[in-house]
Amino acid sequence: MAKAYTPGLLVTTHRRHRCRRILPIAGDVNVSKGDQVVADQVVAETSLPGDVNPVNLANQLSMPASDVMDCMVVKEGDTVEIGDTVAQTKGIFGFMKTTIPSKVAGTVETISPVTGQMIVRGAPLPVQVKAYMSGEVVNVLPGEGCEIEADVAYVQGIFGVGGETAGTIKMACQAHDEELDAKHITDDMAGAIIVGGGRMTAQAVERARAVGAAAIVSGGIDDADLKNMLGYDLGVAITGREQLGITVIVTEGFGDIAMAARTFEMLKGFAGQEASVNGATQIRAGVMRPEIIVPLDAAPPASEGSGRYEEGQLEIGRPVRCIRDPHFGVIAEVSGLPSEPAVLGSGSKARVLEVKLPTGEHAVVPRANVELIEE
Amino acid sequence: MTDTPTLDPDKIKVILATDCGSTTTKAILIQYVDGGYRQTHRGEAPTTVEKPFADVTMGVVNSVTEIGELAGRKLVGDDGRIITPATDTEGCDIYISTSSAGGGLQMMVAGVIAEMTAASAKRAALGAGSIVMDVIAANDGRRPHEQIQRIRDLRPDMILLSGGTDGGTTDKVVQLAELIAPAKPQPRFGSDYEMPIIYAGNNQAQGSVSEVFSEGGFDLQIVDNLRPVLERENLGPARDKIHDIFLEHVMAQAPGYDKLMGWTGAPIMPTPGAVGDILQTVARIQGINVVGVDIGGATTDVFSVFDETFNRTVSANLGMSYSISNVCAEATMPNVLRWVPFDMDERELRNHVKNKMIRPTTIPQTREALMFEQAVAREALRLAYKQHKEFATTLKGVQQQRTVGDTFTQETGGETIVNNMKLDLLVASGGVLSHAPRMHQTAMLLIDAFEPEGITMLAKDSIFMMPHLGVLASVHPKAAEEVFDRDCLIYLGTCVAAAGNVKAGKTAFSWSFNGHSGEIKGGEMDLIDLPLGETATITINPVRGVDLGAGPGKKVEREIKGGTVGVILDGRGRPLALPEERTACQATIQGWIDSCDMYVEEEATAAV
Amino acid sequence: MRIQAAALLACVLSVTGYAPADIAPPGKVKALNAPDDKGNQVEVYWTPSPNDAVPGAIQGYVIYRHKVETGEGLESIPTEWDPDLFAGSEPIGDVPYGVTEFVDENGEPDTTYLYGVAAVTENEQSSVTLASDLVTPRMEWINKGKIWFLIIMLTISGVLIWFVRHAKKGGEVKVRKIAGLEAVSEAVGRATEMGREVLFVPGILDINDIQTVAGITVLSNVARTSAEYDAQLEVPTARSLVMTTARETVQAAYLGAGRPDAYDENRIYYLTDEQFGYTAGVQGKMVRDKPAACFYMGAFYAESLILAETGNSIGAIQVAGTAMPSQLPFFVAACDYTLIGEEFFAASAYLSGDPEQLGSLKGQDVGKVIATFLLVIGCLLATLAGVSGPEKGSDAEPGAFHTSMQDATDYIKQNILGKEGFMVEADRGSFEETEANTGGGGDQ
Repeated sequence: MAKAYTPGLLVTTHRRHRCRRILPIAGDVNVSKGDQVVADQVVAETSLPGDVNPVNLANQLSMPASDVMDCMVVKEGDTVEIGDTVAQTKGIFGFMKTTIPSKVAGTVETISPVTGQMIVRGAPLPVQVKAYMSGEVVNVLPGEGCEIEADVAYVQGIFGVGGETAGTIKMACQAHDEELDAKHITDDMAGAIIVGGGRMTAQAVERARAVGAAAIVSGGIDDADLKNMLGYDLGVAITGREQLGITVIVTEGFGDIAMAARTFEMLKGFAGQEASVNGATQIRAGVMRPEIIVPLDAAPPASEGSGRYEEGQLEIGRPVRCIRDPHFGVIAEVSGLPSEPAVLGSGSKARVLEVKLPTGEHAVVPRANVELIEE
Repeated sequence: MTDTPTLDPDKIKVILATDCGSTTTKAILIQYVDGGYRQTHRGEAPTTVEKPFADVTMGVVNSVTEIGELAGRKLVGDDGRIITPATDTEGCDIYISTSSAGGGLQMMVAGVIAEMTAASAKRAALGAGSIVMDVIAANDGRRPHEQIQRIRDLRPDMILLSGGTDGGTTDKVVQLAELIAPAKPQPRFGSDYEMPIIYAGNNQAQGSVSEVFSEGGFDLQIVDNLRPVLERENLGPARDKIHDIFLEHVMAQAPGYDKLMGWTGAPIMPTPGAVGDILQTVARIQGINVVGVDIGGATTDVFSVFDETFNRTVSANLGMSYSISNVCAEATMPNVLRWVPFDMDERELRNHVKNKMIRPTTIPQTREALMFEQAVAREALRLAYKQHKEFATTLKGVQQQRTVGDTFTQETGGETIVNNMKLDLLVASGGVLSHAPRMHQTAMLLIDAFEPEGITMLAKDSIFMMPHLGVLASVHPKAAEEVFDRDCLIYLGTCVAAAGNVKAGKTAFSWSFNGHSGEIKGGEMDLIDLPLGETATITINPVRGVDLGAGPGKKVEREIKGGTVGVILDGRGRPLALPEERTACQATIQGWIDSCDMYVEEEATAAV
Repeated sequence: MRIQAAALLACVLSVTGYAPADIAPPGKVKALNAPDDKGNQVEVYWTPSPNDAVPGAIQGYVIYRHKVETGEGLESIPTEWDPDLFAGSEPIGDVPYGVTEFVDENGEPDTTYLYGVAAVTENEQSSVTLASDLVTPRMEWINKGKIWFLIIMLTISGVLIWFVRHAKKGGEVKVRKIAGLEAVSEAVGRATEMGREVLFVPGILDINDIQTVAGITVLSNVARTSAEYDAQLEVPTARSLVMTTARETVQAAYLGAGRPDAYDENRIYYLTDEQFGYTAGVQGKMVRDKPAACFYMGAFYAESLILAETGNSIGAIQVAGTAMPSQLPFFVAACDYTLIGEEFFAASAYLSGDPEQLGSLKGQDVGKVIATFLLVIGCLLATLAGVSGPEKGSDAEPGAFHTSMQDATDYIKQNILGKEGFMVEADRGSFEETEANTGGGGDQ
């Protein structure tokens, strides 16, 4: 049998994390290799070419496209303002001239004798790329961006909405399974990354947004609440561009589900520290999960992850989380790894494993329906 | 691709084929046993094209290793390469592969009129097996700057530009080129590579188009016009060019593919393109109309061959895992729930759906969860087929010839060519259909979603072998044909469905075959055994107004094939109508489920 | 013998003439408020004077009216003729002999009248017989005779309103697919792909013709599609007013499509009023420029086939629409799509998709269905009645089936389509019926 591996989400108190900060098109990079940067520092910037507006001069002048060139007042590369004359007919003996004023401002990019179109490009749009994560610039990609590396504590969520932001971690709940409600959110959480425990209620998100929190992180959320929040039913899990005013991250899933105790304890340990979060999720080929990054001042002395288990391997005694009903969200311990496929309640045959539930009961679940948790 | 060694087909005894999907890499082993080619073993492993592995060959090796273990044959050498040629106990004679990993081949197409040259361009791109990210047309309702913004946002692997008949419009085509050139779309993989643009439009505009793309990092390739006149499509040259570029540019950029290309004995094909090839071949050889469907996690592909015209559509956001939430949103929950014969809490359900979306690999564990997933699948298939019907049309913009007799029967161009009554074979593939615990479920899902009319064979491609066979057909047609016949399709049975004026509770048709006979009433279904491999001649006498293929009320006599499910007699009428009221609907569905033995007790299944 | 005696008597009478006392007055007179009127009509019936039986014995009858004031003491009708009663009143009307009823249309509502009738010869008059009752004309709120019209009108209006509301609420109003209108985008698209023009011919009649108006409606749609597709639209016209209207329409359509810059008014021009001059002009244009799409929408005469054949020969997609029955066959044969009569007029509702228009289109259809239904039923009943009736010239009693068929036919004719209302009313009809109903009778 090849490696039977079940991918899980990465949650670690220490890792050397590298992120690429790349411009959408070529531009200027403001940092050089070895620089220390902070999260909101602009590391690269450029101007996106402005909007393109085609103007059909042949029609406006009522003449064949090939004759348009003779009537042009402006030429390629000229800057035009709204109302400027861009073309003029010769008229009859200098009278009855038709003039065409420009309806857009920008730079004349091309004038086509084939189509009789003039293309005017609007003012460039500035684009800035911030460092996002405090750390050291380890690599500069000239004209494109840079790579930043730092020792961080790193938590991957399962799903998020909203883009990149940064703030101070503040704990709102006292236990990993405590529901995050509006009452937990106080006014001093403005600009903070609020960490809850179990499901976050719609009121909690609303309150967090009202106090101006940067992000809200908890175990779960109801889909109905998410729909109300977004204003539409999310069809495919490709997020990150929502303009909600707050970044929302759930670490475990939808419905009533507690945050993994380890994640919770870890975040609790970092309370008060600055962190960077990104809600962007893409569950497709090229999977992207939301993340919480806490830069560390120095690498902790002993590397974490005692190496008790080989990474990504199911072993007896190892804790797993059931990720499908009827045991959704339950953390259990692997108690058996039968190699033969078994018939499930649904009638399908699948490879299964036996788990010991917290209640002490044993259950058989398909291997596809568990995920490993690092302990 | 050029270093393909020429092989003597007679000497090929062991064929290894893989299909690198976006989540799993599936490998099959075809061996020459007892005087014929048979598919003997299969293996699966997660695809490893994404980080942290970023090398597609790892997944390939994993899946091949699994086959090797099952077959007791060493297929992967110590150097990590697939062993060719074969000896008695090691390796294979030829290794071939298809790929849809990394999102497959993603294209943007452009044409002058959305329903004419742009539609032809889309057909060419889809037929070549790509995913069409967007279609830019002069009449797509977007302002030019919006079109430019869109082109800029997309990161296609290549662009197909068409427009104008030969000698037709030049300025509109150049206008399109003028939109694309300043937008400077960036290819998905690597910034050091020039965006390939295939021009397949008006031959008179080739010069002007070349001029527009002469600077700015484009790799312009000119092929014959895909719509030389509006009356005729010529998709071949464009399709071939897409395949070439796919190999030369796109595959070469994806992690590990350069290595994989060195291993294969035939060019790597995009998975859906290969499926299309094999279905076309089957339709041509047997002279039948075929519809094939592949429902995946993110997308659903529908292929059809009607009267030798091939069409393929990709419904980008209709799928069973990544896109499950979108299916529920598009079809709406009540439409999904009408297929479920018991009550479910909608709030809970929404959470379940979203949890499936964020953890796409989970499988239903309970009967209820399975029934719900199959309900979603029906809606996904129904919507995908609807989109397919809208796309698979006759050509638009064609001059019509009429006589005075046509006064009251004027038909427009662009009518759908999909005709369920003329459909002969419906092939299902994709997890939810081929991995259903009982084949009865697969059959019912197909009937409920596609609503075939008259007499239709149902089959499934149990392990999604069609892509492998599509490529194999280009190397060793005999082997491909033999395996397709024997191992690829599993016949589920025949669906005999009444269309037309079916009245609930009143007799719709009477039937008889093999000494069995009976009557089907409106709104009823029945299942009669006819084992796999057997055939029978069925005689059907529909009542007045009911059509089973020969016209309303006309008697039908045809040969039908048996299958693992049998003959499904369907008197529910078309289009399928379910009661609006929830309890009545549940009872109706339960009735259909019972009459077709969709779900049986676990013991029975376990024994199968 | 008897005949001879009668002839002799008639001869004698005509020679001698009749003295007043010789003319017998009408037997009994009854005045009734006319039903279903606005309050101005009184119907007067009487039994004929015995002299009326003899042809020429009397010339006719005159009708007198007396307006009864309150407190006049006319609570009971005098049985005898009182000359003072009608003092100063001229007869309000007269009728020829043989007629025994009169409708006074000049009464005033809610005024009580007493009527009297006398028989007259050329210069003599009988005594006046007074009506048995006073009568007061009254206005009725509903004309029961036209109750069927009310029902049909309410039904159609109701259906119309229902469909309009239904359509406004976003309900589906299914209108049969009209291939010719569906093909507009196809034809314009073809022109765009081929880099050719779109030609629109709005007929040869002026804008006051309803077909030209309908054609301009379609032009608006063609122009909008052309603007969206950025195709060149040419509209040659045969009337200056049509040109102006077409320019306005096309400009508005281009504006609506968001491409005002693509509008060029020089492409919509006037050729000539001359029928064949215009045809030759358009035809020449077609042969030279080979438009890829030709639309003929409006009123056409002999030029229909000339244009359509030319269009066909240059390989254009052609869509025609006209309500000229004699030209339709030519268009059908030579064009790709043809809008026939009603389809052409329904185009505006079909193209706009406007709920009001769609709803009223649908409502009108229901009206047509009702009319067709009545026609069919009427024809059927009349045919059955005719077939089942007794042979011509035979004296056989008609069968019960024939009678019922005949009655049903009459009911449709007189009650549904005529003025009889739901059914024949008790207090209407001849004097005899009235008498029978009231219990009174002649005491002769």
